Amino acid sequence: MIIGAFSNAALAVAVPYYAGVALNAVINGNQTEVIVNATISLIFSQFVRGCLQLMRNLCAETFSQRIERDVRDELYASLLGKSMAFHDMQPVGEIMARVTNDVREMNLMMNPGMNLIIGSGFFLIVPLFTAPTIYPSLVIFPAIFLVLYFFAQYRFIRTLNPIAQQVRSTFGDMNAHLAETLDGLQVVKGAAREELEIQRFNELVGKVRGFFIKQGYIEARYISFLLLSMLTLLGLIHAIYLYKLGLIDEGKIVTFLGVLFLYQFPVYSSLRSLSQVALGYAGAGRILSIIKAQTDLDQNSTGRTSKIAGRITFEHVSFGYNENNQSLHDISFTVEPGQTVAIVGQTGSGKSTITKLINRSYDVDSGRVLVDGIDVREWNLASLRSQISIIEQDIFLFSRSVADNIRFGKQAATRDEVVEVAKKAQAHEFIESFSEGYETVVGQRGVTLSGGQRQRIAIARAFLTDPPILILDDSTSAIDSATEDRIQQAIWAASKGRTTILITARLSQIRWADHIVVLRKGRVVAQGKHEELLASSDSYRRIFARYEEAQPQSDTVQG
Amino acid sequence: MFNSLNQDSYDRLYSDSYLFKRIGSYFSQQKRTLWTIAALLVFFSLLGSIFPVLIASSIDYLNTDDNRPLLLLLGGLFIASIIDYLLNWWRGRMITRLIGEGIAQMRSDAFASAVNRDLGFYDDNKSGKIVSRITSDTQEFGNILVIFTDIFVQLVQLILLGAVLISRSIELSVVVLLWLPIFIGMSLVFRHLSRIVGRQGSRAMAAVNDNIQESVSGISIAKNFRREGLIYEEFVAVNSLSYNINLKRGYVLALIFPVLNILSGFGTASIIYFGGMAAIAGSINVGSWYLFIQSVDRFWFPIINLASFWGQLQQGLSAAERIFALIDSTNMVNQIADVPTNELRGKIEFKDLVFEYKPNNPVLDHFSLSIRPGESIAFVGHTGAGKSTIAKLIARFYEFQSGELLIDDKDIRTLNVQSFRSKLGIVSQSPFLFSGTIADNIRYSKLDATDEEVEAVARSIGDGEWLETLPDGLQTDVGERGARLSMGQRQLVSLLRVLLQRPPIFILDEATASIDPFTETQIQEALDKILAQSTSILIAHRLSTVRSADRIIVLSQGKIIEQGSHQSLMSAGGHYAELYNTYFRHQSLSYIENSRQMLAEGS
Repeated sequence: MIIGAFSNAALAVAVPYYAGVALNAVINGNQTEVIVNATISLIFSQFVRGCLQLMRNLCAETFSQRIERDVRDELYASLLGKSMAFHDMQPVGEIMARVTNDVREMNLMMNPGMNLIIGSGFFLIVPLFTAPTIYPSLVIFPAIFLVLYFFAQYRFIRTLNPIAQQVRSTFGDMNAHLAETLDGLQVVKGAAREELEIQRFNELVGKVRGFFIKQGYIEARYISFLLLSMLTLLGLIHAIYLYKLGLIDEGKIVTFLGVLFLYQFPVYSSLRSLSQVALGYAGAGRILSIIKAQTDLDQNSTGRTSKIAGRITFEHVSFGYNENNQSLHDISFTVEPGQTVAIVGQTGSGKSTITKLINRSYDVDSGRVLVDGIDVREWNLASLRSQISIIEQDIFLFSRSVADNIRFGKQAATRDEVVEVAKKAQAHEFIESFSEGYETVVGQRGVTLSGGQRQRIAIARAFLTDPPILILDDSTSAIDSATEDRIQQAIWAASKGRTTILITARLSQIRWADHIVVLRKGRVVAQGKHEELLASSDSYRRIFARYEEAQPQSDTVQG
Repeated sequence: MFNSLNQDSYDRLYSDSYLFKRIGSYFSQQKRTLWTIAALLVFFSLLGSIFPVLIASSIDYLNTDDNRPLLLLLGGLFIASIIDYLLNWWRGRMITRLIGEGIAQMRSDAFASAVNRDLGFYDDNKSGKIVSRITSDTQEFGNILVIFTDIFVQLVQLILLGAVLISRSIELSVVVLLWLPIFIGMSLVFRHLSRIVGRQGSRAMAAVNDNIQESVSGISIAKNFRREGLIYEEFVAVNSLSYNINLKRGYVLALIFPVLNILSGFGTASIIYFGGMAAIAGSINVGSWYLFIQSVDRFWFPIINLASFWGQLQQGLSAAERIFALIDSTNMVNQIADVPTNELRGKIEFKDLVFEYKPNNPVLDHFSLSIRPGESIAFVGHTGAGKSTIAKLIARFYEFQSGELLIDDKDIRTLNVQSFRSKLGIVSQSPFLFSGTIADNIRYSKLDATDEEVEAVARSIGDGEWLETLPDGLQTDVGERGARLSMGQRQLVSLLRVLLQRPPIFILDEATASIDPFTETQIQEALDKILAQSTSILIAHRLSTVRSADRIIVLSQGKIIEQGSHQSLMSAGGHYAELYNTYFRHQSLSYIENSRQMLAEGS
C-alpha cells in the first residue's frame, strides 16, 4: 500500500515535468523528437502509475473490509461474553448501532480515510524535493504552506472530533428508541400513542441532524482551501519574479505550477478523509468501550468441572442490582439433591433474583451460593451453566424452526429425541398441528405462537438437556388450565431425580414442593413445608387465604 | 442463509424518474435554499474555470514589457481565490443544512410509516430490518445530494471550459473531444458493474442488523444453554456474506480512480504531442497550449466521475427505494370512513365474522356475539381457541375477512382508529414497558394526568406496598422494555396504566397470570371497579378471576360452545364445569398425593 502511495505521488510529478519539458522544447526551437519522447514517457509513466494505484486500492479495499468484518466479529464475540448485568443495562438498539454503523464508520476510516491520508501524504512531501530542482528558492512557499497546512489540519481535527462523537452517540440514541418502539408497537397502538412516539423520535432525529449540520459547518470552514489558492498565487508570483530576473525559463514555471497543483489532491481529499477519520475514531471509541466494559463475571475456566449432584445452599446472601438498592438481604436456605423447592412471595420480593445467582447470571455482593458444597464462583462457568437449566418468565424463541429451538441446548439431538421431549412437555400435539410441523419457523419474538405454546417449547428445550438442576421461573403461569394440568404432570416427571426450584404462585406446585421458602421484600420470612407454614407463618397464611376460600366450592362440585 | 438477502415482501421497484421526482419533493420545501445553492454552484464553477484561464493568460503575458496586465491578472487571481473560498464556505453550509434536513425528514416519514403499519406487518417483517431502513438507508440516501451537487458543479465547469477551449483552438478541442467516447464508454462499463454489485449491499447490512437484534435480545437463553458458540457461528456467516458483497462493491469502486488516471495521462500525453506539434507549426500560442494541458483533466474528470458517482448514486437510489417501499407499504387494516369517536357506550357486536391469519385456516369461523354496554365478558378455552384474536379484532389490530364487527352499532371500519383506540384500555399478554420511570409508564395512557393522580392510582393497590421494594418508588427507572422490573411488577404497571385511563372498553389479556396471589387479591379489587364502569373483555386463565364476569363464554376452535353465568354453567356440567374442576382439582392435596403415587408406581 505504502509503496503504491509513494510511487503514485512520484509518478504524478511526471505530468508537470514532461509538460514543462515539452513546453521548453517548443519555446527553445522546434525540437519535435523531444516532444515525442516526452509524450511516450508520459504515457508509460501514467500507465505504470494507474496499475500501481489499482493494486493499492484493491489492497486498501480488502484491508478495510476485513477490518470491518473482523472488528464486528470481535465485538460480537465480546457481546456474547458479557454478563447479563451488562445486557440489562444496554438498550438493544444502541448496541445494534455500534455493531453495524460504528463498525462501518471504522471501515470508511481505513478506506477511503486512512488510504487517502497516506496516499496524499506523499503528495505533500514530493514538491519539497522537486521544487528545489527547478530552482532552489522555489521551495520557500511550499515549505511555509506545509507548516501552516499541518497546523490548520490539526485544528480542524480538534474541532471536528467532539462533534463527530456527538453525531455517533445521538445516532445510537435514535436507533435505541427506534428499536424499542417497534418492539413495543402493540402497546403504542393500543394506547393510540403513535403521535407521541413519532414526536419523541423526531426530537432524537432533530438532535442527530443538529450535530450533523454542525459537523458540516466545520467542514465548510475548511481553511486549507484558502491556504492552497494563496500558495498557488504566491508560487506563481515567485516563479514570475525569478523568470523576470532571468533565473528560470517558461518551461520551469509550468513545471513548478504543476508541482504546486500536486497539493490539490491532499488538500481536497483530506477534507473528506479527515471527517471520515474523525467519525471512525469516534466509532472506534464506542466499540472499544463495549469491548473493554467490565464483564463482572470471569469465566473461571480452570474451575471445577465435575458432574453436579444437585445440592444448593445459600449462605447469608445479599445482593443488589445497583449499589444503593439491595434486592436480597441475608438469604439462607438449603436444597438437598433431588428435592423440589418452591419460592413464593410477592411480586418484586426477589424470587427471580435468587435464580440468577445460582447460574451466575450475577454474582453475590456478600455471603455465598454453593452448589454441591462448592462456591459457584469456584466452578467452571461453562460447566456450571451447562448443568443448570432455566425456564424463564419471558420466553425468547429464535427465528428458526421449532425443532431447532428445542434442540438449542443440545445440537446433536436426533429428531426422535426432539419429538420425545416435545411429547413430555405436552407440545407435540400443537406442533404437529402446524402445517410444517417441527419445521415451522418461529416468527420474531415468537409472535406467531401463543404464550402457552412458547412456554411448552421452552420446557421441551430444557428437558432435552436433562440437567441436574432445573429452575422454573413462573413458567406455567400463562398456560391455560387444561393444558396446565398436563404440563404440571410433565414438570413433576421432569423434576424427578433432579433438584428443582420452582418460582411460582401456583398452589398446586407449592404443595408439591418438599420445601417452601417465603420471601418478603428480599428477606426470607419463613421456610418449611406447606402444613408447617400454614400453622406457623402469618405471611404465608395471608398469601393462601384466597385459595382456601375458593377451595370448598370446587370440592362441592367435585363431590 | 442466502434467503436473508432476498427482498422483503413489501419491496417494490420504482422507475428512476419517479424516484428522482420523489426525492426532489423532499427538498422542494426548501426551494429558496435550493435556488441559492444552485446560483452559488454556478458562480463557483465559473470561478473554478477562471483559474486555469487566468494562469494560462499570465504565461502569455510573460514576455510583454508592460507589467500591468500581468499584475492585473495576478490581482484578479487573488480576488478570485478569496471569493472562491467564501462561496465554497457558504455553499458547504447550505448543502449540509439541506442534506441534514432532508435526511431528518425522511427518517421522520419512514418512522411514522413504520409506526402506523398493522401488527400483522410485523408478524411478517422483522423489525431489525426495518430499523436498518430507517437509520442506515436514510444515511446512504443523504449521499445522493452530495453527489448531485458535485456533478452539477463539474458539468457547469465542463461546459464553460469547453467553450473557452474551443475559442482558443479548434484543432486541439477536436483532440480533446475525440477522447470523449472512450470516457463515456468507461462510464457505462462502471455503471453496469456497480449496478450488479450495488443492490445487495443494503440487504447484507439489513441481514447483519437483524441477526444482531435477535441474538442480543435472546442472549440470556444463549447463555443459559451455553450456546454462545452456535449463535456466534451464525453471526460470522452473515457477517462474512456481508463482507464478500461489500468487497465486490469496493473493488468496482477501486477500479475507477486508477483507470481515470491512466486515461487522463494518455489524454494529457496526446495534448502535449498534438499541441506541441501545433505550437511548432505556429497555429496556436504557448499559453493556449498550456491552458489545454491544464484543463484536460478538468474536462474529463466530470465524465469519469459520473461513473464513479454512479455506483454511489445507485446505492443511494436503492436506499431511497427501500425507504419509499417502507413508507408506501400498505396496511391490511383499512378504514372506509373516518368517524371520530367522542362518546363510547361500549356496545360490541360480532356478526357472522370470519378471520384467518393465514388463508384457509380460519381462527374465527362465522362468529357471532353481542356484548352490551358495561357488560363484562370472560373468554375461556384452550390455547389457540381464538380468545386473544377476539381482543385483537376489537382493538382493530387486524382486518377480518368477512362478516361485521359493530361498535355502538357502527361498523368498526368506519371509525377513526386513533380516536377509537384512545377509548380502549388494553393490558396485553406480555406486558411491555418503555424505558423511563414507572410514573412515565403509568401515565402513558393519559399524558395529562397529574403526579397526584398517578400516585393515587399506584397506591390504590395494596396501599402501594409494591412500591417499597423499588429503589426510587414511582421514579424508578424501568430499563429498556421494563427489564429491570420483575414480570409481576411489569404486569402491575401495565394494569395501572389502564386504571388511570378509565376507558369505556377494557381488554385484559391473560395479564394477571404471574402476579402472586397476594398482589392479585389487591388487583382484583381495582379490577372490580373497572369492571363496574367499562365494557370488559377478560381473557384470563384464572377461573377464580373469570367468575366475577357477568357472562362467561367458552371458546373452542373459534366457535362458542357454551355461555352463561358461572352458576348456570357449573350446574349445566358441560365444558366449563370440566375446565373449572380440572383447574382446582390439581390444586387439591389429594390430587397431588395421587400423582406422587402414580409417578412412584410408574417408575
